[in-house]
Amino acid sequence: MKTTSPSSTTESASRPRAARALVPAAAAALLCAAALALYAAVGCDLNDPDRDVKRLFPGSTGYKTLYVSISRKGGQDLLQKIEARLGDRFAGLFETIDVPYTMYEIYKGQELIGYIHGTNQKGTYGGLQVFLALDRQGVIRGFYLQKLTSKAAKAFRDPAFGGQFLGLSLADFYAYDIVTGKEDPPGAVGRIANPDTASDRDFRAILRATKKNLVLVDEFLLGNPHLKFFKG
Amino acid sequence: MKKISILQVAYKSLLRKKTRSALTVLGIAMAAWVLVSLFGFNRGYESSLNKDIDNLGFQMLVVAKGCPYEAATLMLKGGTGLKYMSESIAASVAAEPEVDAVTPMLMQVVFDPNKGESGGLAAFLGVDPATYPRLKSALPFQAGGWFREPEAAEAVFGYEVAELEQREVGDLYLIPEKEVEVKVVGILQRTGTQDDGTIFLPLGTVQKVFGVSELTSIGIKVRKDADMKAFEDKMYKLPDVQVVSLTQVKTTIMTLVSTARVMVFSIAVIAILIAMMGVVNTVLMSVMERRQEIGILKSMGAMAGDVFKLVWLETIILCGAGGLVGTGLALITARLTDLLVRRLLPYSPSGGLVSIDAGLVAVTLGVVTAIGLASGVYPSWKAARMRPLDTIRSEEES
Amino acid sequence: MSAPVPYVLEAEDLRRVYRRGPEEIAAVDGVTLRIAKGAFVSIVGPSGSGKTTLINVLGCLDNPTSGRLALEGRTVFEKCRGLSESKLTRVRREVFGYIFQKFYLVPTLTVRENVVLPFTFYEKPGAGADVDRLLAQLGLDKRAEHLPGQLSGGEMQRVAIARALVNRPSILLADEPTGNLDTARSDEIGRILGDLNAREGLTVLLVTHNPKLAALAHRTIELVDGRIRAA
Repeated sequence: MKTTSPSSTTESASRPRAARALVPAAAAALLCAAALALYAAVGCDLNDPDRDVKRLFPGSTGYKTLYVSISRKGGQDLLQKIEARLGDRFAGLFETIDVPYTMYEIYKGQELIGYIHGTNQKGTYGGLQVFLALDRQGVIRGFYLQKLTSKAAKAFRDPAFGGQFLGLSLADFYAYDIVTGKEDPPGAVGRIANPDTASDRDFRAILRATKKNLVLVDEFLLGNPHLKFFKG
Repeated sequence: MKKISILQVAYKSLLRKKTRSALTVLGIAMAAWVLVSLFGFNRGYESSLNKDIDNLGFQMLVVAKGCPYEAATLMLKGGTGLKYMSESIAASVAAEPEVDAVTPMLMQVVFDPNKGESGGLAAFLGVDPATYPRLKSALPFQAGGWFREPEAAEAVFGYEVAELEQREVGDLYLIPEKEVEVKVVGILQRTGTQDDGTIFLPLGTVQKVFGVSELTSIGIKVRKDADMKAFEDKMYKLPDVQVVSLTQVKTTIMTLVSTARVMVFSIAVIAILIAMMGVVNTVLMSVMERRQEIGILKSMGAMAGDVFKLVWLETIILCGAGGLVGTGLALITARLTDLLVRRLLPYSPSGGLVSIDAGLVAVTLGVVTAIGLASGVYPSWKAARMRPLDTIRSEEES
Repeated sequence: MSAPVPYVLEAEDLRRVYRRGPEEIAAVDGVTLRIAKGAFVSIVGPSGSGKTTLINVLGCLDNPTSGRLALEGRTVFEKCRGLSESKLTRVRREVFGYIFQKFYLVPTLTVRENVVLPFTFYEKPGAGADVDRLLAQLGLDKRAEHLPGQLSGGEMQRVAIARALVNRPSILLADEPTGNLDTARSDEIGRILGDLNAREGLTVLLVTHNPKLAALAHRTIELVDGRIRAA
C-alpha cells in the first residue's frame, strides 16, 4: 500500500520532484554550461522514496508522507522549546521557522512499523543530509547520509560508521552538547568514533544533524515520549 | 486695470462656449495622450528588448563539433563525450570584424559518489574572469562578486546549487573526485536559467585541475549593427565546430519592433490629423458665430493682424491645454498602459515598457502646438479678412 | 484743400451703388453734406431710404462707389480712389466711435473690460486716464465688475457708448441706438447723447426711426430713396 498525505501539495515540499522535472526544460537552454545539481530544496526529501524506503526498511510495503513545520505547529514558542532540547540555536537557510520537514510513516500492510526523516546540515565543503530510519519508539534502526561533501566522505559513508548510531535514541543524545562536542556524563554518543580526525567539523555536523533529527521526530511524530529525559 | 491683453481676450472668448472648448481640448488631449503613450511605449519596448538581448551576454555560441551543448544530452552521456577545440579558435573568431567580444569556456563534469545512494554528477563551467563577467554583466549577485584571477581557487555559485550545498560567501567547496578546495566568492541571484545550477570557476583553474588545455565552447557577442546572417554563415564554415545562434530570435523580434514602429507612426499621424480637423472645425465655427463681434473689434480699431493674432491665440490655447492634459494623462496612465500592453503582447521584455521622459513630453507639446499653429491659420485668416460692415450688416439689415 | 470753417465731416456727391443681379441699386444717391464740429445731427427717413448705408459710408465702414469724403479737413475718398483697409482702420479709430442697435458686448468680459477692450488694439495718448470718469459719467461705476448678462438693456447700451467713447473720438455714430430699448430707456439714452453733445462738445451723428430721439438733434436730415430731401 502506498498512501500519500493530502497535504503533499505543499509547494516547497513537492519541489524536489518538480526540480527534477525541470532538468530537461532547463537543459533546453543552449549554453554549454551544465546544470546538473538541480535537486535543490529548502526541505529534505529522499531522492527516490520508493526505492530508499524499501532499502532502509526491508519488509515494508508502503509509506505515507507528512509535511510539518514549526511555524504551523506552534510558532515561536515551539521553536524555542526545540532549540532548548537541541542545545543550540537554529540558524541559516535550512533552519528557519517555516522550513517544511518531510516525514515518512512506514507501513507493513496496515501496520505502522516506523519512520524515516532527514535533516539538512551545513558541512565544511557543502550540504549534508542525514536520514534516520526509526522504529515506533524512536530508536535508530537505519542511518543514511544521502548527501555529503567532505574529504572524509568515504569513511563517513562506510557502513561501519553509520552502524555506530544504530540502537541509539534521543535519550542518549541529550547528554551530548553539540556546541562543545562533549558528552556529560560520558555515554553512548561519546563512544561514536570519528573515522578521520582531520574532518572533525564534518563529524560534529553529522552528530548535530542526527540530534536535530531525533528532536524533530519526537516532537512531530512520537508525541514527545523522550521529553522526560530532557534536563534542560 | 487700464488695459486687457489680447491673450486675456482670447482666453475669455474660449470661456464663452465652455463645453465646446472643453470638448476640443479633450480631443486634442486624446491625440496627445495617444501620441505620448505610443511613442513612449515604442521607445520603452525597444530599449527593454535591447536590454534583454544584451543581458543574454552573447548571441552566438561556438562549440566543438559533437559536443553536447545541452545539459540533458550531457547527463544522458554521463558526463562523457565532451569534445574540445583549440584555444586559438577563440582568437581567430575575435578577429572577425562583426565580433564585439568573445569569451572562452570550458565545461567539466565529474562523478560524485557521495550524492544519493549511487552517486551523481557535478558540473563546472570554467569562464574567463577578464571577459565573461563583462559580457554577462546582467547576472545579478545575491552576495559577493566574480573571481578576478585567471587561476584563483575560487568559485561563484548559482542560486540553486548554493542552496543545495548550503554555501555562503567565504565558505569552502570541495571539487569531488579531484579533492581540490575552492573558496566561494560569489552567489548569484535566482535567474530561472541554467546559471542557477552552475558552479563557475576561473577558466585557468578548470584547465589546471582537470588537466585540459582546450575549450568546449566560445560565447560570441556580435556587434549590434552587424549582419548576423552573414556572420553566422561565416562561422558555419569553420572546421570542426558547430554554431548555436540566437539570430533567429533576435531578427524576429526586431522585425516585430520595426513593424510596430510603422504602425505606431501611422496611428500617430491619423490621431494628429483627426485632432487637427477638430480644431479647425471648432475655431472656424466660433469665428463664424462671432462675425459681428469681430466686426465691432475692427470698427473699434483692430487691424487685420490683431484679429488674426486673436484667433490664432485661441487655437494655440486650445492645443496647448490639450497637450498638457494629454501628456499629464499619459504620465498618470503609464503604469496602466504598461500592464495592459503586457497582457496583449505575445512577448514582452522585462523592464518598463512605457518610457516617457521630459524630452518626449517636450516633443509632444511642441508637436501639438505646431498642430495648433497650423490648424489656426485658416480660421484666423478668414476672421482677419472680415470687413466690419459686412459682418455688422449681416445682422442689422437682415 | 481744407476749408477754414471747422467742418469735421464733408461729403460731396456721395454715391453707393449695390448690384443685385443685373440691377443696380443706388442706396446712397448723390449726398452732399457738411457737419460742423460739435453738431448734433439726426438722419431720419422711411425703411430702405438708405440711412444706414449713408452712415456706414460716412463712418468709413463702407467704401462709397463715387464722390468725395473728407474728415477733419483730410480727404478720405476722392472719386473712386479710397484708402486701403488698414488705412481705413486708422482713420476709424482716430475719428469715430460707433454704437449700434445691438450692443455687441463680449459676454465673458466685465463691464470695465468691455469698455477698455479698444485699448487692446489702439490707445489714443492719454485716453486711458478717462476710463473711470467715463464709467461714472454713464452711471456704470457701480457695475464695472459685472458681466453683461447681469445688466439691463439700457445699461448695456451705456456700456457700448462708454466703449465707443473710450478713445476720445471726434464723432459718435449711432445707428438706431434705441431700437432694442423701451421708451424709458430710449429717453435715457437720448438724454445721455444730448448731454455728451452739450457738455463735451462731442459731434453726434444719429440714425433713428424714433421721432422723439430725432427731435433732440440740432439738425435733422431726411433721406428719401438715397437722396436728402430739402428741409
